[in-house]
Amino acid sequence: MEDFVDNLTNGNVTEVKVILASVALALAVYQLVLISVGYGKLRPRFLSPRVASVAHRAVGATIATLLVVTAVMCLSYFEVEDNTAHVVAAIALLTVLALKVAIIRRWHSLGRFLPVLGTLVIVLLAITWLTSAGDFLSDS
Amino acid sequence: MSTRAHWLQLAGSLAVAAVIVAVAIAVVTSKFGSTSAAEREVQEERLEQREESQEERLERREERLEELRDRD
Repeated sequence: MEDFVDNLTNGNVTEVKVILASVALALAVYQLVLISVGYGKLRPRFLSPRVASVAHRAVGATIATLLVVTAVMCLSYFEVEDNTAHVVAAIALLTVLALKVAIIRRWHSLGRFLPVLGTLVIVLLAITWLTSAGDFLSDS
Repeated sequence: MSTRAHWLQLAGSLAVAAVIVAVAIAVVTSKFGSTSAAEREVQEERLEQREESQEERLERREERLEELRDRD
């Protein structure tokens, strides 16, 4: 797996991971705007709440895919014990994300928790990014 | 809202997402500097070439010195 990741990224594993995580974080901020329109907190003339919710779902699926790919790269290539804060934040992020997806797909009765879980996803994503990609970018 | 307007709004929202992705990639990539593996490989190759040419020069000098010693 390590060789596969190394070949896939042409030896730039950290750089690709940083790009994927940064794209996920940037899209997550956009998600906040979309869901604010979806819930009617923002009311722009050019975007209806229904469309904003659909776009939120599509962008969310993209972010989830990016995060899973990044996590797989991270686990297969880097030592887990290197950065405890990053590992804890990343595990919490993936757990909350999985719970959010489960509520959206199956446990509809728990839908009232979605805003809290969404906020938690953004916060955990920011912590995960800061403890890895942020460190890398500030060093370079 | 008409179906056309619905699809236009959706396309616009996703286009904004695509722009965000492009900008994020551009900003992050610009911060990497000379840390990418491709650039490191080029630097290593240059260093190897320099070392090889230095070794060659040294060998030639030693050969010339030996020739001079032989003549003497």
